[in-house]
Amino acid sequence: MSRDLHADIGEILLTEEAIRAKVIELGARIAADYAGRNLTLVSVLKGSLPFMADLMRAIDIPVRIDLMEVSSYGGASTESSGLVRILKDLSASIADEDVLIVEDIIDTGLTLNYLIRYLRGKNPASLRICTLLDKPARRLVEIPVDYTGFVIPDSFVVGYGLDFGELYRNLRYVGVLKPEAYAPDATG
Amino acid sequence: MTPAFAHASEAEMSRILDFYAVRWEYEPDTFPILWNTDGDVVESFSPDFYLPDLDLYLEMTTLRQKLVRKKNRKLRRLRELYPNVEIKLFYARDFRALMLKYGRLALIDGLSGTSGQVAAPYQAAAAADEAIAAGLASARSGPGSEPGTGLGLAPAAAPRRRRTGATTASTEGTAIHR
Repeated sequence: MSRDLHADIGEILLTEEAIRAKVIELGARIAADYAGRNLTLVSVLKGSLPFMADLMRAIDIPVRIDLMEVSSYGGASTESSGLVRILKDLSASIADEDVLIVEDIIDTGLTLNYLIRYLRGKNPASLRICTLLDKPARRLVEIPVDYTGFVIPDSFVVGYGLDFGELYRNLRYVGVLKPEAYAPDATG
Repeated sequence: MTPAFAHASEAEMSRILDFYAVRWEYEPDTFPILWNTDGDVVESFSPDFYLPDLDLYLEMTTLRQKLVRKKNRKLRRLRELYPNVEIKLFYARDFRALMLKYGRLALIDGLSGTSGQVAAPYQAAAAADEAIAAGLASARSGPGSEPGTGLGLAPAAAPRRRRTGATTASTEGTAIHR
């Protein structure tokens, strides 16, 4: 019998409708701010995939997209080196482009801090940040965010790209995971 | 050289910072926060980490509630006396959330609620994490006290560099000004 992912959600924090409305609002702001410029959206896999897909369609100006993936601390693929690695780099140059990093969530800011330093080395004309979710309570590295969808409380959230153990990304909403869902004996 | 961390959570934090290429120093500075009437320092505070690129101190508290209260008091004092010093406090709940985010599930129970040392329990927890991670990969392949009397209200001395961590050269015993 297949597992009911919805049953693991204690509370729906952001409904599908609320997310859709916010994405449209963000897209309109970005389109206005970048009119007449060379905008490239850089999405960070895997979590920001749904947000990127929706946001790019809400930006009604010419826009390029590119994708990056970086290893995460604690991931099996990164244990050997102990250092963050670029698992997928940009496929095209961003030199002299206006780059907007599209993130699903910013909490500690550690990954984003690394990415910003990395992308600055590629000499974009500008580099700004758009995140669907901001969890400031967890911030370690203060990073100015230019476009924020929702400031959320200090809860472990999944859905709309956000995962726990690679699950829940396909939920259409953002929900708070029940503690029992991430107990060690619940992972098998 | 890796410093002798006082707590397993500090060792784990150092690895996280290393992973994301954030330079750190371990307990490099000691801030006097209380003086007696003779001007002698009777209490000081040494934040666990200093992150030079961010000009930020980081203090980890995964200790018992009584000790957390003491640390909160020291932190308030430090902020009063050194308003330009940026410091963030990482409580047990913050660390638990970080471990959850990174899938270090066994460390959640192994590191909090005690004054745990970097010893066998940590190693056991780390090994358990690896086992859990392996299981996940497999399963998911388909889908305070108040010392002294008489309070001095103004800092009598600049924070003193005590010890430096792995990534920056030590200047032991040298007074510094930030």
